[in-house]
Amino acid sequence: MTFAERMLKIDRRIIFLVIGLCTLLPLLYPVGLPIKISPEVRGVYDHIESLPERSVVFLSFDFDPASKPELHPQAIALLRHAFKKNLRVVAMTLWVTGTGLADQIITQVAREMEKENGKDYVFLGWSPGNTAVIINLGQDLYKAFPSDYGGKPTKGLPVLDGVHSLKDITYLVGLGAGNPGVEAWYVFGKDKYRFEMGGGCTGVMAPGLYPLLRSGQINGLIGGLRGAAEYESLIDRKGTAVAGMDAQSATHAAIVLLVIMCNVFYFASRAQQGRG
Amino acid sequence: MILLRRQLPLFITLVTGLTMATQYYVPHPVSEELLTSVTKWLQIIGGFALVLGVTSLFHVHAVKIRRQEAGWGYSGVLYAGMLGTIAVGLWANGKESIDGVMTAFGWAYSYMMVPLQGTMFAILAFFIASAAYRSFRARSREAAVLLAAAVIVMMGRVPLGEYILPLSGDVSQWILNVLNASVRRAILIGVSLGAVALSFKIIFGVERSYLGGGKE
Amino acid sequence: MPFESIIGAWVATGLTLFIFSFLYKDNPVFKVAEHLYVGVSVGYTIVKTYDTVIVHLIWKPIVENQEWMLLIPVFIGLLMLTRYVPKASWLSRYAFAFIVGVGSGLAIPRTISSFILKQIEDTIRPLLTLMPGEGVSFTWNLLSPASGVNAIIILVGVCSVLFYFFFSVEHRGPGKAVARTGVFFLMIAFGAAFGYTVMARMSLLIGRLTDLIEFSDASYGRPTLWLLVMTIGLLIVLGRRTRSEPPQEG
Repeated sequence: MTFAERMLKIDRRIIFLVIGLCTLLPLLYPVGLPIKISPEVRGVYDHIESLPERSVVFLSFDFDPASKPELHPQAIALLRHAFKKNLRVVAMTLWVTGTGLADQIITQVAREMEKENGKDYVFLGWSPGNTAVIINLGQDLYKAFPSDYGGKPTKGLPVLDGVHSLKDITYLVGLGAGNPGVEAWYVFGKDKYRFEMGGGCTGVMAPGLYPLLRSGQINGLIGGLRGAAEYESLIDRKGTAVAGMDAQSATHAAIVLLVIMCNVFYFASRAQQGRG
Repeated sequence: MILLRRQLPLFITLVTGLTMATQYYVPHPVSEELLTSVTKWLQIIGGFALVLGVTSLFHVHAVKIRRQEAGWGYSGVLYAGMLGTIAVGLWANGKESIDGVMTAFGWAYSYMMVPLQGTMFAILAFFIASAAYRSFRARSREAAVLLAAAVIVMMGRVPLGEYILPLSGDVSQWILNVLNASVRRAILIGVSLGAVALSFKIIFGVERSYLGGGKE
Repeated sequence: MPFESIIGAWVATGLTLFIFSFLYKDNPVFKVAEHLYVGVSVGYTIVKTYDTVIVHLIWKPIVENQEWMLLIPVFIGLLMLTRYVPKASWLSRYAFAFIVGVGSGLAIPRTISSFILKQIEDTIRPLLTLMPGEGVSFTWNLLSPASGVNAIIILVGVCSVLFYFFFSVEHRGPGKAVARTGVFFLMIAFGAAFGYTVMARMSLLIGRLTDLIEFSDASYGRPTLWLLVMTIGLLIVLGRRTRSEPPQEG
């Protein structure tokens, strides 16, 4: 067996070790490379920035712990931005296993920004039915969620003053890790109830949402940890996403190097076979 | 019996399907009220569907424990985790936090479910790296194009890549916004056409697999 | 530091390391964590479903607001559960017929409007822009998504990919050229998707390692370090036991 062939059959645990170290070391010793802002992320930021005070922003945290590292920082950054702008926030989730995370996020940021439950924000919790919930919210918010997460009746909450359904909200950002997610909010929500909408998603989903971005069906897109880092930079509150960008750089560089090496060894072994 | 067991369900699908499809184009208050009620019903039925989904899991693991099949101890761990979570969940009225204070249910969620599920998916990072090393080879012209696009996007979406290859950011942006968007759009149109066709087949009773097996 | 947070940090770290131990090889410690994950997730879903559906969507509206119409979906839901009673399982067909019928009906017009018409509309964009005073112009800027040249590329991409997928005739002559173009577009999109998938997976790892680093802090009692040593020790012991056991027959 030649050297190239041996290298192609290397124990996968060595690759695991390389990836582990490439992630761990930059987290322990960060460099802090500058992050360029993409127009997609700026689209969401600029729209929230343009909203007048007390406008209603609807945030749907449609993810679970599996995609927490990507969408948790996005949600935190968006909430900080909305609360800083003194906007009213209505939050919910379509993913049952994401309820706890959504509750944690909104409680944490509201406490940090000194916002009052029921007056400045409301967390509606989770409801089964996926896309039916979106339509029901578009028809009558109080029928879809007669009470909020804490069990308080939603009717009469000051935060929902003047809001009867999705038609009355100013902006909606769906943070989705799959289905139902951003696309569902467009198809079953915006298509009929005509509100402005942006999206946030995992890296896996981001390329699939570009057609909606191009056609203006969503006016911005925060994609993965990178998108979250851009948003954190925009609001000038660096958090876990910015901290993770060095590790992201190192792992990407490691994978590119691995791919190059694998091709070098592959062509070398092919050339040797051809000669033999 | 065939009328009750097969024809009537198919008729229900036909009527409900056509009614809800037509409703979209009829913005009359009665039609809107119908939509509100039906979607509210779907919320409740969705809850029952979830129960249906998880009960088969109970059965599979209960059988394993009862027969003491290989690995039945793990099924015991599953049951313990499930019953423990249900107990603390009911104790906390299904709330992870009450007035901002974490409940035992919230504790189980934050310190057990979140790390477990998060790590389950995090280990995929190692396997995708290993797979990239083993199979990402430029064996043909198409594979080379795929490889080049992947490398450009991987470099163009991280600060280090933009620092080493300043052009990679703009090129990856163009790939995503134009080349990728056109392909995704074609796929979206194709899949949507397929989904609409399937929906019509369901409504008109051509596609019946959702009714399950059986002679009748 | 609250006591429950310290205990939580130890539990979370232990479970994280148990799952990571799979990277070395499949082992009982990983299996315990895996089954616990399924158990806790199912338990969580059951509790949330009970609280949301039974308490908040059914019991309270019916008992407190006399919304008797809600008994209809409850009845349909119960019909669905007859699937577990072999003799009456055919009754569940009514529930599925209702859900599938409504779902299909709701999806048809919305999918056509959102994903077919809107996407086609954006694909057939005007190539030339008419500026007052400047006349008609065609933009060549590749970096501007709305430029004329990008509009042409998108049109070519969408048509060639659709052609490749939809026309299942033998691709010959000009058809072959169109299909080949479609394949190259597809390869670029798959490459971009792979790049983004790598990004996503690495982000998840970063998230878990960030937590492990946080839990290596002295305020938690350094669970990461202690439990790492313990997990490695456990793997060594389990590895030795497996080696010393006689191979099973059959």
